Amino acid sequence: MPTHDLNLEGAAFLKDLNAGLYEPAATRSLGESAERSSKHTRSITDAIPYWQQWREAANGIKSYAIAHLDKLLTQFESGITARGAEVLYAENAAEANQLVLDIARKHQVKTVVKSKSMVSEEMELNHKLAAIGVRPVETDLGEYIVQLAEQRPVHIVTPAMHMSAADVGHLFQQKLGEPFSAEHQNLTRIARKHLREDFVRAEMGISGVNFGIADTGSLVIVENEGNAGLSTSAPEVHVALMGIEKVIPRIADLPLFLNLLARSGTGQKLTTYTHLIHGATPGRKLYVIILDNGRSNVLKDPAARMALFCIRCGACLNACPVYRRTGGWAYGWVYPGPIGSILTPHLIGLEQAAALPFASSLCGACGEVCPVKIDIPHQLVHLRSRAVSEPSPMNKPLERLTWRLWAFAMGGPWRYRLTMWGVRLGVRLVPWIAWHPGKLGAWTRGRELPEVPRTSFRRWWRNHRDHLQPKLPAPEQPAERASP
Amino acid sequence: MTSRDAILGRIRTALAADPRRPELPPVAQVWPHTGCGVDQMAQRFLAEIGEIFGEAYRVPSMGDARRKLAEIMGQEGCSRLGVMDRPLCRELTAAVAPAAIAWPQPDWTAAEMAELPAAVIEADCLLADTGSAMIACYTPQDRLLCYLPPTCVAIATADRLAEHLPAAWPAIAQRAAAPELRGEFVFVTGPSRTADIEKVLILGVHGPKRLVVLVVG
Repeated sequence: MPTHDLNLEGAAFLKDLNAGLYEPAATRSLGESAERSSKHTRSITDAIPYWQQWREAANGIKSYAIAHLDKLLTQFESGITARGAEVLYAENAAEANQLVLDIARKHQVKTVVKSKSMVSEEMELNHKLAAIGVRPVETDLGEYIVQLAEQRPVHIVTPAMHMSAADVGHLFQQKLGEPFSAEHQNLTRIARKHLREDFVRAEMGISGVNFGIADTGSLVIVENEGNAGLSTSAPEVHVALMGIEKVIPRIADLPLFLNLLARSGTGQKLTTYTHLIHGATPGRKLYVIILDNGRSNVLKDPAARMALFCIRCGACLNACPVYRRTGGWAYGWVYPGPIGSILTPHLIGLEQAAALPFASSLCGACGEVCPVKIDIPHQLVHLRSRAVSEPSPMNKPLERLTWRLWAFAMGGPWRYRLTMWGVRLGVRLVPWIAWHPGKLGAWTRGRELPEVPRTSFRRWWRNHRDHLQPKLPAPEQPAERASP
Repeated sequence: MTSRDAILGRIRTALAADPRRPELPPVAQVWPHTGCGVDQMAQRFLAEIGEIFGEAYRVPSMGDARRKLAEIMGQEGCSRLGVMDRPLCRELTAAVAPAAIAWPQPDWTAAEMAELPAAVIEADCLLADTGSAMIACYTPQDRLLCYLPPTCVAIATADRLAEHLPAAWPAIAQRAAAPELRGEFVFVTGPSRTADIEKVLILGVHGPKRLVVLVVG
């Protein structure tokens, strides 16, 4: 397991006090925005007669890619190296950070413009750059806003979905010295003005990678704002950060994935900018850092490999009733929502994130909308099984003992009756106990127990059954049976 | 052992535990090919780009395209144009005063190019069903022309229209596979946009606010 420099401050699901009992405080706007996006996307995908065939095809290609990952990675490496790029591998976030810092020092970088990269969030790269005196600037508008607010993104695609225009206006006033405005056009103009200065000044640009194409050695980056285009072309140095799972076998498969990603992510037919980068352009330097950071652990468990199919569209977040109520921070790490609940335990270990697979109602909405047909609900159940059978906070001797006792109590009629008598007595005593230990205390502080009936249903039935015989209508005369 | 060897070694060990290796599926068709004609594709392209707040004009000749360019320059008050050095761009700007044209130079910096009010670029392919233009950029300056100036005019002939991305893809993929190729193919689908604040759509966040595609013929 790689060593992670984690900051789990926002991990409400993972805090001891509320473990398993977190009551969300997400804004209503986040839930409404996610629901609106989900409905919009659903209406678009429902109108495409080939949608299910596309999902099936994408799932097949991803299955192949993951099962031949070593071959495809070396093919991709060889192709893009031949086009003038330098490919570097990093086993974990610390090594990847070191590689980026070395590149920054080598090229005497003072300012870095970054387009959206989930891998860089895994690496906590901005803090590392700042520590050596390099100024990192997030250039995606949503990422820029959360960076100025010193927060984490709440969503993979729309990072500042929790903030209102007025919130952004106050933020720009405070951090950029701009007059307050809550008008969207004006706020965007302010961001454009400030970020333009950084684009033309920066010595290095950092981007994520949506797809690495093995047979041509090309990078694919999709975006809407133009910030990825500028981040990868204006500075002299471009560093592309790519997880090992981003490689796909053929350039011929790209139209399929582009159609799926744009529609599932933002409900567009094609994103505004789809960049196919074929190596370094003259006078520019291109580095590709390929990061493992726990991904190869997923491969060890064949039942879990599907988690690596994710193309980061965010559709499962918008569809998830839990995410809509809790927001992204509640998931504690970089990847929120249902996909976060299956990726995070793999990437940072069950020891730290075993609670996440339990943060789901298993309604199945995430699995239905996933464009690459990841069976997220079954992945969650699989991880729950692992969380209670492998070393993890969810695998506790007390909990195991509790469930064994429960199984014993339910194992025969007399044991059941005795247990129910004890439960009735216990529940009546609860209001008289001022302090409750552990999780029970967290539960009773925020909830009232329902009133317990004075008698059990079984006893009530014994006393009343003679008076409650159903009055059945008199049977009708059978009709004359027709001859066969 | 290098990190590369360690990662590839871990992958190989993990994959060896499960001998099942799925076959590579055939390339998906995505959209059917209907074989529609140029007029139909042009009509669809104009409609689609309008839906995403871009502009497109189909003009019968290069002379008409030049008049349209002059009109756009007038509307935007452009005194200078950054022009991609391609045959169609040269034809389109033949009537523009030479002093008003800036041909990209290898030593141009992003700061200098950010001063350009408008760019003229050449689209190698137009996708009818999405209103997209594919621009092939071979230098950093070509790339920056697509993103830095606030107004961007792309020119293409009508024979470059394709029904949709899968129809255009074999030719694009063949070009992309050439080992000597450097640079970028960028599919531009409307002007730069964001909906990051309260999901309200705003145009021109970082790239061009106005995108005009001239389809000649």
